[in-house]
Amino acid sequence: MAYSFPEEVLEHVFSFLSSDRDRNAVSLVCKSWYDIERWCRRRIFVGNCYAVSPEMVIRRFPELRAVEMKGKPHFADFNLVPEGWGAYAYPWIAAMAEAYPFLEEIKLKRMVVTDDTLELISKSCKNFKLLVLTSCEGFTTDGLASIAANCRHLRELDLRESEVEELSGHWLSHFPDSCTSLVSLNISCLGSEVSFSILERLVARSPNLRTLRLNRAVPLERLANLIRRAPQLVELGTGAYSAEIRSDTFSNLADAFSACKQLKALSGFWDVVPSYLPAMYSVCSGITSLNLSYAAIPSTDLVKLISQCQNLQRLWVMDYIEDSGLDVLAASCKDLQELRVFPSDPFGAEPNVSLTEQGLVSVSEGCPKLESVLYFCRQMSNAALIAIAKNRPNFIRFRLCIIDPQAPDYLTLEPLDAGFGAIVEKCKELRRLSMTGLLTDRVFKYIGSHAKKLEMLSIAFAGDSDLGLHHVLSGCDSLRKLEIRDCPFGDKALLANAAKLETMRSLWMSSCSVSFGACKLLAQKMPRLNVEVIDERGPPDSRPESCSVERVYVYRTVASRQRLDMPDFVWTLDEDSSLRYS
Amino acid sequence: MDNHLQLHLALSTTSTRNLPRNDEKKRKFDESFSDDEMTSNKRTLPLLIWNDNRNMDCGCVDVEEHAVVGWPPVNSRMRKVAEHHRRESTASNYVTVDNGGGGGGGLNSMYVKVEMEGIGIARKINLGIFGSYQALTAALMAMFGKRREMYKLTYRDKEGDWLLAGDVPWERFVRSVRRLKLLKKVW
Repeated sequence: MAYSFPEEVLEHVFSFLSSDRDRNAVSLVCKSWYDIERWCRRRIFVGNCYAVSPEMVIRRFPELRAVEMKGKPHFADFNLVPEGWGAYAYPWIAAMAEAYPFLEEIKLKRMVVTDDTLELISKSCKNFKLLVLTSCEGFTTDGLASIAANCRHLRELDLRESEVEELSGHWLSHFPDSCTSLVSLNISCLGSEVSFSILERLVARSPNLRTLRLNRAVPLERLANLIRRAPQLVELGTGAYSAEIRSDTFSNLADAFSACKQLKALSGFWDVVPSYLPAMYSVCSGITSLNLSYAAIPSTDLVKLISQCQNLQRLWVMDYIEDSGLDVLAASCKDLQELRVFPSDPFGAEPNVSLTEQGLVSVSEGCPKLESVLYFCRQMSNAALIAIAKNRPNFIRFRLCIIDPQAPDYLTLEPLDAGFGAIVEKCKELRRLSMTGLLTDRVFKYIGSHAKKLEMLSIAFAGDSDLGLHHVLSGCDSLRKLEIRDCPFGDKALLANAAKLETMRSLWMSSCSVSFGACKLLAQKMPRLNVEVIDERGPPDSRPESCSVERVYVYRTVASRQRLDMPDFVWTLDEDSSLRYS
Repeated sequence: MDNHLQLHLALSTTSTRNLPRNDEKKRKFDESFSDDEMTSNKRTLPLLIWNDNRNMDCGCVDVEEHAVVGWPPVNSRMRKVAEHHRRESTASNYVTVDNGGGGGGGLNSMYVKVEMEGIGIARKINLGIFGSYQALTAALMAMFGKRREMYKLTYRDKEGDWLLAGDVPWERFVRSVRRLKLLKKVW
């Protein structure tokens, strides 16, 4: 019986639960399990930094070792969230540095991180091991220097895609000679040079280094020396992959690569000189992940490279691969699980490469394990989408971007409703969907009826009326994140589905037809939703209530709805139901 | 059974589940929406102002000039890389433009600007993918969300004259058209 079961035993049992969902479920069983669980939870994930306050987290979980948190909504990546909106890491870090002196891991995504924040982490957490900053901004190389200098046991420093103000390349020299614990270092987002000799010495004294992602400034001539010092590498990101064509440089590089028997992932490849690609061929058969998102490599050379990588599971590549290259991919890489094809010329009105819907159809035919796709192209047809859906009912993530918004089926000139309808109907495990092209309310009816496991949906320039939004909100049982831009969706669907919003993490709507009056009403009726009106035209109450707002961001929260860091273009409802802004 | 669909502020999950789903009721839902001006068949047009310059080889077209904010959805890093490649590709032969026309996927790229009377934002359309006036008009109507009977298609030819589309054979039209405009029919 529960009350005679020693706590230590329960704690031991709970220690096998790693998933947050399991732990949350366990904590709801009874008060005693709630208490035991909260004392032994070591890792926490906060999907929206404004959904809860630091104090609440600290009060409930007194012994955390690892925190992962996300800030700005996804559309911030495309400049749809104005500068200064929020997502400051400092208040969280300040509270946690005090409460958790044994904190070891911090992972932040789309947050503003200052040098002070980094310094605080480095000085307060004596056992700090892991820092991952994805798409963050607000810090300089000085902040990195503090981390390097003070975190004696640092294992991972990963600056994925963050914007760093680079004051000097010398921050790397702040790693003391005694620091030999590095397992992962990712500086690929940095533009300026770091000292190569410092880098080489750091790599040489890190026997556990598994991941090394260099930045563009590391020239190809230096790569061989670095790799030689770390033949145990599992993941390598090169710097610029170009040099004058010389046989000694080539053979040096080829030798260095051939010593890396554990290499599984490759990335980097800025400024590629294709003649140097064969230097990597010796490792290709072991490669499972290849990230060529920045590489301008002609299709023929890409094809030669890819056909060496029989065990490829993940490929990120530019549309230079063309349909012909994707055909080869489909034929050679039967283990492929994830494909991302990025546009080399996203703003050109005319296609610069021969990449069409056919490439995606080929891959969906040839790769039985393909489950995740992000594909940019310039034309699509219902027939292709229907074929893709039939070929690959195992899709989990399907993100299609047709460059021209509202592009119809190029063969029939009809909307692409039927195509996307087929995707959601056949792919029963679909968790994430992004749609583009000419789409009417009908596609949303299909989504509402079929996409029962869908968790995240991105919509742009689609739909005819509120009916579209209503179908999604009322039909998608598993929906957590909904982001919409430039759609004729407005008040009715939003208000009719207000309760649904509390079951989701967040809803983003920009350039739609949501009125200020509806935002106020929603906020009044739903006290646990924060309805942020983000409008740069001045106070919303200086315009008629029926006027559409520029952007509205709705998220559930148990923290105060009056976040203290609101800029002057964000409005939320105050306790006494009046409009409030900073 | 309740025949009339009531849409109201749903305060609990149970009330949203009570919304009937079959088609007959859906029609009512539709009707109740179209009463309201704001949510009727208006389609939001993208704020897309394409550069009229068809010659993209100059590589000097400023990205900001013809970009909708945040479209296409590529992050800033990818955007910078694309800009860099655009400048490089004019000099190198890394990228081959396949304008084979027909077959595999090569498109006959003939982009012209299209305006519709009463709508402030222009669009651009690739005439190369159409084979007839009918196909073109159908696509334009779908694009702007209007009914064909309400508009007539006019075009500006290479001499600068504005003409009613449909008088000359399609091939000749495609060679001479420089710009399209849809005008409301006056009954």
